[in-house]
Amino acid sequence: MASGLATRERSGAGPSAAGPGRRYSLERRQRRTAYLFLLPALGFFGLLFFYPLGQELITSLYTGPRADRFSGLQNYAGSFLDPAVRNSFWLTLIYAAGVLVLTIGLGLLLALILNQPLRGRTVLRAVLLVPYLTSIVITGLLWRNILDPQVGILNRLFEAVGLPAQNWLLTDPLATLIGISVWQHTGYTSVLFLAGLQGIPEVYYEAARIDGASVLQRFRYVTIPFLAPATLFVSVIGVIWSLQQFALPFLVTDGGPGNATDLYIFHVYNVAFEFRDFGYASALSYLLLVVIMIFTLIQFRAGRRSEFA
Amino acid sequence: MLRERLFFGDRVVGLGLVIAFCAVTVLPLLYMVSLSLQSETEVLSGDPVLWPETPRWDNFAVLFDSAPIARFVLNSLIMAGAITLSHLIFDPLIGYVFAKFTFPFKNTLFLVILATLMVPFFVRMIPLYVMMSNVGWLDSYQGLIVPFLMDAYGIFLMRQFISPLPDELIDAARVDGASELRIFARVILPQTKPALAVLGLFTFVFQWNEFLWPLVATSREEMRTMTVGLSLFNREAFTLWNLTAAGAVILFIPTIILFFVSQRYLVRGIALTGLK
Repeated sequence: MASGLATRERSGAGPSAAGPGRRYSLERRQRRTAYLFLLPALGFFGLLFFYPLGQELITSLYTGPRADRFSGLQNYAGSFLDPAVRNSFWLTLIYAAGVLVLTIGLGLLLALILNQPLRGRTVLRAVLLVPYLTSIVITGLLWRNILDPQVGILNRLFEAVGLPAQNWLLTDPLATLIGISVWQHTGYTSVLFLAGLQGIPEVYYEAARIDGASVLQRFRYVTIPFLAPATLFVSVIGVIWSLQQFALPFLVTDGGPGNATDLYIFHVYNVAFEFRDFGYASALSYLLLVVIMIFTLIQFRAGRRSEFA
Repeated sequence: MLRERLFFGDRVVGLGLVIAFCAVTVLPLLYMVSLSLQSETEVLSGDPVLWPETPRWDNFAVLFDSAPIARFVLNSLIMAGAITLSHLIFDPLIGYVFAKFTFPFKNTLFLVILATLMVPFFVRMIPLYVMMSNVGWLDSYQGLIVPFLMDAYGIFLMRQFISPLPDELIDAARVDGASELRIFARVILPQTKPALAVLGLFTFVFQWNEFLWPLVATSREEMRTMTVGLSLFNREAFTLWNLTAAGAVILFIPTIILFFVSQRYLVRGIALTGLK
């Protein structure tokens, strides 16, 4: 609309009156300035987001150590039959589901407790956030030491209270990585839930109480429905994050024992930078991107109703 | 009005649960500090201790002698610092354009920029590696910095923050004949200080912690960042847990500073930068 106005003025009798002429030049100046200021961003996102995105798609159609032999959709077709890829994919789904269920359960519980007026609530809340802001390198290496069957402190503490020694990184490696991730992300989840809880208008509880709803009924019919958007947000963000987990297998288990913790992006990293098969790695990346897109679209769709979007 | 108590369990039990959870959060990190002060015999004995008999502060000196830690820290500072600076300039600039200017294709362009939020880093990893390799930027600061110069979420945040600022501020400056860049730098930017503080702190910490791209984009030891340097040091000297822990303590410093400097910002900041 604004540009239409400007065009009409340009084709008109010219800036005879001071008003329209001034307005015209202001508008043009605004437009010029906007594009000028946007230039670096357009260059950046074009060159370092959209161009790589297209380049990755093209590379995924090639094979060979230099990704220079065209192979059509062979990389994609091959990946569906590749037992290593299927293994990675299922492991990653289990990992993501495990982290999701535990962080949401624990996060919600903590949020419900912290929503009450407690002394030192701000400090406790901030403390819970520390693991989320801690480098994954610290998290991974520290837990590898703590869980180490020979030199780790955890078995020592177990012995002290009469429990048998454990070697979880060998017996339950995937569950152990899930546990480490829960340690890192529960506090963050609880803070997001807390924001959701604080957005519930008190009048709904008041009304429910007047109607004679019990504590449990109020929880079921007021708290839970109001938390739905927050839960959705937390779930989608959490799943997208989990599907991309790379550092924990790299730092803690090296994908093992065997390929028991060969999470998807860790696998892609090795295909690309250990086996130097950029074509195949690109195809694998695109497949995961499709899965992530589906989750993201769910969030955008539902997010319209959410205060977090 | 009576405030609803959402946690209907016993209050003391609830508080106990939260404190237990905080203990599980904090104790491993304190143990990391303890490890960093232990002797080699203590970490290797197979009989781990909670606290060393005599704290060995010289572990840090030993660590700096056994690997180019100072260089790793410097590299991390340069990378995270440059990226943060770039975000503090460009995120508000682009946010300002979308908040206050009218121009053709505005909504389309904004959606295009927001769409980059749906592009996870791993999709860009291989093409970026090839690009950087082609222009000779692997093992360079440019190579570490350039892929992260701007961020759609930061732009979005700044747009939200700048939108409610009164247009009269800008109009008055225009009437006074200020250049557009000057209006941005002198009128808009000072108004966004609280948002910039949060954006800057979080961007710095997240970039300081960045692991995958520095791992991919560097192969020469002197270009490694602290995250990559420490993880590879641990691979070589995997029994020297006291030195690894000392490195982890150094890596932990920005997180600690963020925690103490900005406790009141912390929760709000997480809500603001929630997508990271």
